[in-house]
Amino acid sequence: MRAWLQRPWRALLAALNYLWSGWGALTSLLLFCAAWELAGQVYGTLILPGPLATLAQLKLLFDDGSALPPLLISARRTLYGLAAALLAGSLLGLLAGRSLTAAMLSRPLVTLLLGMPPIAWLVLAMLWFGMGDATPVFTVFIACFPIVFAAAMQGARTLDNQLHKVALAYRLPPRMLFSDLYLPHVMSYLFPAWVTALGTSWKVVVMAELLSTSDGVGAALAVSRAQLDTATSLAWIVAVLALLLGSEYLLLEPLKRQVERWRVDPNP
Amino acid sequence: MNALHIRHLYHRFGPSEVLADVGLDLYAGESLALVGPSGCGKSTLLQIVAGLLRPSRMIMHCDFRGLGCVFQQPSLMPWMTTLDNLALGLKALGVPRAARHRQAAGMAARLGLAVSDLDKYPHELSGGMQSRVSLGRALVLAPDLLLLDEPFSALDVGLRLELYALLREQVEQRRSAVLLITHDLMEAVRLADRILLMVPEPGRLVHEFVLDRPHAERSEAWVHRNTGELMESREVRIAFGLDRGELHNAAPSHGEHRGCQI
Repeated sequence: MRAWLQRPWRALLAALNYLWSGWGALTSLLLFCAAWELAGQVYGTLILPGPLATLAQLKLLFDDGSALPPLLISARRTLYGLAAALLAGSLLGLLAGRSLTAAMLSRPLVTLLLGMPPIAWLVLAMLWFGMGDATPVFTVFIACFPIVFAAAMQGARTLDNQLHKVALAYRLPPRMLFSDLYLPHVMSYLFPAWVTALGTSWKVVVMAELLSTSDGVGAALAVSRAQLDTATSLAWIVAVLALLLGSEYLLLEPLKRQVERWRVDPNP
Repeated sequence: MNALHIRHLYHRFGPSEVLADVGLDLYAGESLALVGPSGCGKSTLLQIVAGLLRPSRMIMHCDFRGLGCVFQQPSLMPWMTTLDNLALGLKALGVPRAARHRQAAGMAARLGLAVSDLDKYPHELSGGMQSRVSLGRALVLAPDLLLLDEPFSALDVGLRLELYALLREQVEQRRSAVLLITHDLMEAVRLADRILLMVPEPGRLVHEFVLDRPHAERSEAWVHRNTGELMESREVRIAFGLDRGELHNAAPSHGEHRGCQI
């Protein structure tokens, strides 16, 4: 019974521990804001508005209702491209990892895809898909796909032979082979790649929108740049960063800790 | 009586012959130790019995149904807690969650693990504890055939003696048959009823030593004396390359081959 209670207790401790570790991150961010404020005062608000001015501008954007629609549009494009990349990259990567030939064939291709700058893809996408939704979605997909694919392939290739032998010796049925052997192993490779892909997807979507669409955060940035409105530009940047940090540290990181409890030492 | 019979077992890895004309018998309640120099095909033979390798040629008859394997490394699933690792084989058999956890917790207590260890992951356990869990994972199935591939080789003396006792208890209660691979002649003398000597190139059985003293009467002095005698025997010295000479295939000692059942 005590052992049964220990699990939620340890989970609670881990959660508190995690939240407490946030103070360090917050301190570092506030120090950065102080330096930003200092630089703003030196150069003047036209060149570099300080963090308070930027936040005030962001609040203004939210208040007059012009902030939410572009953010939603960008988020939707990110989500489509990212979801397609995660799905296709994970599945194809796992399949490629199952066969030595496929792995050998795809390794140089992955290197090639990873090395290709997203801006080059964007130019191609603009030629192929025009100025619609498809261009940023495609660019996000093609930028994230090789990251996920490479990790999935690596995960499928590196399964411990000894553990596989144990699983066979104990006559694990196919369903258990999947849930108790392949899945946990592969997830430990896939999850970090998913997090990296999320960061990449936000960066790429803003860049793609800046050059190719008339709506979304990127397009709004293009407008504020044209009007030499530094405060609004910074407000958009802060909004995008806040979304990225929020999704990573409030959603993915705790999820990762939960999935990979067996890797992290709870009492280091 | 349940038994395992193997005759005319040959196995090749590519061009090299790993096992040639191996035959052995193992009966319920009996412990058989396989000794021999590294690379003589002991582990391959064990993997064939476990069904992990398909040999090139073999006649095998096996009545044993429940199988427990312990490998040289503990090889615990790194993403499972001690309790789930212990219950792995039970889960594969379809034992419901509550029942298998109860049995695994009982086994953990017999292994001398604390309640707080049950919820730990393998990387939080010491090497000795991991070995105990690995042995417990096999014993909790109450198997009628236990296959042990040098499971004690990395352990200190105290832990070894503890696990030997646990193993003997299992053999006496369940009348399990044990096939044990070891480098350690003293371990073989301590645990086995018969010791089979293997030599490499190609792997074959060349001699059988019978230890007929009951396990309860085996004292430390007896174990040491017999290990010494074994070390001095001509066959062991030739097999481990200490003396020169020729060794010929040994015939299985338990009766004649009475026709193929499979």
